[in-house]
Parts: sequence; structure tokens; C-alpha cells
Amino acid sequence: MIRSSEDIIVRTVSRILVPFIQLFALYVIAHGHHSPGGGFQGGVILGASLVLLLITYGPQETRRHISEKSLIAFGSLGVIVYSGIGLICLFLLGNYLDYGKLSGLLRVVPSEARSLGILGVEIGVGFTVMAIMFSIFFDISSGGKPPDDEKNNP
Amino acid sequence: MSTFFLTIGFGLCAFVFCVLYRVVFGPGVFNRIAAISAIGTKTLIILLIMGFIYDRVEMFVDISMVYALLNFIGVLAAAKFLGLETDL
Amino acid sequence: MMGGAIILSALFLLGGVFFFFTATVGVLRFPDFFSRLHATGKGDTLAVLLCLIGLAIYEGFSLTALKIVFIAVFMALAQPTATHAISRAALRKGIQPWMKGGQENDSGV
Repeated sequence: MIRSSEDIIVRTVSRILVPFIQLFALYVIAHGHHSPGGGFQGGVILGASLVLLLITYGPQETRRHISEKSLIAFGSLGVIVYSGIGLICLFLLGNYLDYGKLSGLLRVVPSEARSLGILGVEIGVGFTVMAIMFSIFFDISSGGKPPDDEKNNP
Repeated sequence: MSTFFLTIGFGLCAFVFCVLYRVVFGPGVFNRIAAISAIGTKTLIILLIMGFIYDRVEMFVDISMVYALLNFIGVLAAAKFLGLETDL
Repeated sequence: MMGGAIILSALFLLGGVFFFFTATVGVLRFPDFFSRLHATGKGDTLAVLLCLIGLAIYEGFSLTALKIVFIAVFMALAQPTATHAISRAALRKGIQPWMKGGQENDSGV
């Protein structure tokens, strides 16, 4: 079981660095079509920042800030965003992920609507990848048992 | 200038191969972790120099920043795992 | 591109490569784990900082040079922390430092 690190240097440095790592991950998600990046890579970096929090503060403290419900909500939110954009394109009399038909809804030219549609699905993918990566790491590191078993009702 | 960068890149590759001896033959696991961290640091500079040779620096700067991040988190996780007293 | 900026960046790069060379020799030839950790923790960090400053000077005033300076600041903050964490883990596991005249063989776990 991972204990909380009683070392003050590692705790302070990780507490300083985690917001900047997350900001860089959002930059990588948003610049997917200019430079190497996109949804999956940004989601992995977001998950890595949460893993850094987990290994320096222990599972109890991290669970207090990132509950299991919010993790599941993030994972589902990403899928809802992705398929929701596809379904909206379907309702506007196009194919499943035909972003060109969004131009009527957003009042822009079709090429601009395609760019915005791709950005939207990348954001959805980023959310899901972050939630699943942290959830997998937490399950493997805690050996399958939740950290405080007597407080939560099964 | 491109020849100068190429020479420095080859020199750093030679240093990486020298440190690889410590990864293979280092007695114990802690020597190997320290040597992996050193290899990661040299790889970061080699990536940037490759970006300068191919004249596409903007692409390689993002990649090397991500590699620095992952190297740091990896060494911290390995140190945390190896410092546990009980068996998992 | 002025000639002075090129000469300055080449000097920084050569200094960085020199410190990489000494750190590599230290990792190979030191007798104990903790002294090797000294070599790679201090020498590699200084070498990376010098190399990154040299590359940023070569690039000039642009967004890319600012990003390279960000990488340098992150390296200066994160590399000593990683060295500290792994040396604490090794000490907790019971690796003894090398004493002059005491134990002759390298004691790693």
C-alpha cells in the first residue's frame, strides 16, 4: 500500500508543479492540429499529473479530493461529448460525424465548422483518457481494496 | 552550423552508450534507476538538437518537454515503489 | 543572425557537453552508488541547463526560445527532487555508503 511521503521536499515540489503540468496538457489538447498532440496525448499527461499527486500524498488524501463518483462522471462525460457531437450531426441531416453540417447551427462557414468539431471530440477524448488512466493506476496500486472500507457502505 | 550540431549529437549518443554499461552491469536496482534518469536527460538534448538540424524546432520543443515530464514522474514512481518495506 | 550570438551559443553548448562528459566518467568510475548519484544528479543538471541556454540564444527572440527557457526552469526544479527521492529510498533500504579503507566491494542491493 502506498503511504504518504513524509518528505517535505517532494511534497512541496509536486504541489508546485501539478497545476503547470495540467496547463501544459490543456495546451497539448488544444494544439492538436498544429503540433504533435491531440486528445490522447493530452489525456495521458493529465492522467500523469494525477498519478504524481497519488504517489506523493497517498491514496486516502487523494481520494478525498478526487472521489470515485467524479472519476466516473468524467469518464462518461467524455463519451457523451464525443457521441453527442456525432448525434447532432446526424440530426442535422448528415452522416454520423459529418462536421460540415454544424455550420448551420454555429453560423460559420463549413470548413470552420469542421475544425471546431474536431476540437470538440478531442476534448471529449482527453477527459475520458485522464479518468481511465488514473482509475487503472489506483486499482492496480491499492491491490483491489478501497483504502477505507468501513466508512463507505458497499 | 549544422555540422557542429551533428558532431555534438554524435558525442551525446556515445555518452548514452557509455552509461548503458551501468544499466546492464550495475550491481543492484538503484544503480539502474539512476542510470536511466541520466539517459533520459541526454535524450532530451539529443531531441532538441535533431530539431535544430531538421529546421523544425517548434515541433521538437513540445516533444522534449513531455519527455522531461515523464522522466521525472517515472523516477519518482520507481523510487517510491523500491522504498517500500513490506512486500506488495 | 549576428556572429556574436552564434559564438556565444557554441560556447554554452561546448560547456554543456564537457559537463556531460565528466558526469558520464563519474557514473562509470565512482566506487559507490551514492557518489554515482552525486555525479549524475549535479553534473547532468548543470550540463542540461547550459545546453538549453545555448540553444535558446541560438534561436533568438521568439516563442520557441521562451518554451526552451521553460524546459530549463522545469529541469532545474525537478531533477534535484528526483535525485533526492531516490537517495532517500536507497538509504531506507539499507545501502551503506562507501568508507575509505573499510569495505572494498560495492554494496548495492
